[in-house]
Amino acid sequence: MLTKAGTKRGDLLRQYVPARIVRMDGIDIGLFDYDRYNTLYFFILNADEHIYMRYGGRDARSPTAYLNLESLELALEQGLELHRLYRAGKIDRKPRPAAKYPRDVPELHKRTTGAGRCVECHLIGDLENVQRELDGALDKLSQMFRSPDIRTLGIELDVPRGLAAAQAAKAAAAAGMQAGDTITHLNGKRVWTFGDLQWEYDRVNRRAKTIQLRVERGGKSVDLDIDLPDFWWLTDIGYRNWSVDPRVYFNSEPLTAAEKIAQGFDPDGFACRVTHIDRVAELLGNHELAVGDVVYAVDGKTRDEIANTAELFLKLRTQAGSRHVLQIVRNGERLETSLKTDRMSFRK
Amino acid sequence: MRTGLLALQASLAISLLSTPSPAEEAVGWITSYEEALQEARRTGKPIFLEFRCAP
Repeated sequence: MLTKAGTKRGDLLRQYVPARIVRMDGIDIGLFDYDRYNTLYFFILNADEHIYMRYGGRDARSPTAYLNLESLELALEQGLELHRLYRAGKIDRKPRPAAKYPRDVPELHKRTTGAGRCVECHLIGDLENVQRELDGALDKLSQMFRSPDIRTLGIELDVPRGLAAAQAAKAAAAAGMQAGDTITHLNGKRVWTFGDLQWEYDRVNRRAKTIQLRVERGGKSVDLDIDLPDFWWLTDIGYRNWSVDPRVYFNSEPLTAAEKIAQGFDPDGFACRVTHIDRVAELLGNHELAVGDVVYAVDGKTRDEIANTAELFLKLRTQAGSRHVLQIVRNGERLETSLKTDRMSFRK
Repeated sequence: MRTGLLALQASLAISLLSTPSPAEEAVGWITSYEEALQEARRTGKPIFLEFRCAP
């Protein structure tokens, strides 16, 4: 237990100033930028507001997928060592990012502090994106599909051991990563924890084709150039409930190239097969799609460089609340049907 | 979101925050960022800063 005298975690924490923030009203959200859909998130920093590291991070599986008391102890130890080096003048002070407070985001201010409500973390994430959408500055690839999953690259971490790989498969293995490697850098940036790694990975341009990881193996550094697979940034964002994510109330899978050709569709198009219908669609009358339908065009468009399904095209290229005409195939017959997307109203 | 928060508290936060017994020494969590900065300046310690959704 962290607070118990004489325990490792307790002794480590007593070498820190522990602070817990539950209201974000006066917090510089430019300095403390993180994926706000983490329920808990930690920073280790000093009185100069130089951030040594982050601790936290999650994926679609669970909010606790990367939280672990052993890896927390490891981070606390590393934080103390970095603090010692900083005070010894062996670490340069990082330039501070531009300050930004919740009151500086008009939609956030209007719906929280301006209305006498608390500024909660998830409201910051959501309303910053609403503001970007209003300003015509929303990049859904990076701002709606936040925090890509490293498992898409085949990297499975041994979570209690921080950034040590338990397994390497797919693109990571093809680049030479091995079980037991410890990740130390991503694109030249030092990473100490999964929180650091996920934050740096999230900053990778979504159109990038490769990333470079440096790992420590047997006391030596090894550089790995990883070829990013198509749609490496695509994750399940269902748990986020973004207001800017059009609710389409169906799930789908892309047709294979052979299926597209056999059915006479654009081979580079986003034709997809409906795999699930959300009952909300029936209750609210948003669409009349059925499982097994093939959607091959939206408003006459059949392809898009950033979408491998019509479902993803709708999410990325349309605004929540918009109406569309879908071209579909049902039981061998080509039909047209309408679809209305909804905008999620995010309330606690 | 609520379910996730509860699970998280069960697995990590509660273990961090459990009420100490008389044999345990409580860690004083500061709830103001500015006060944490002042305390870090006074003591020379680093800050362990937690952001969490209000329970």
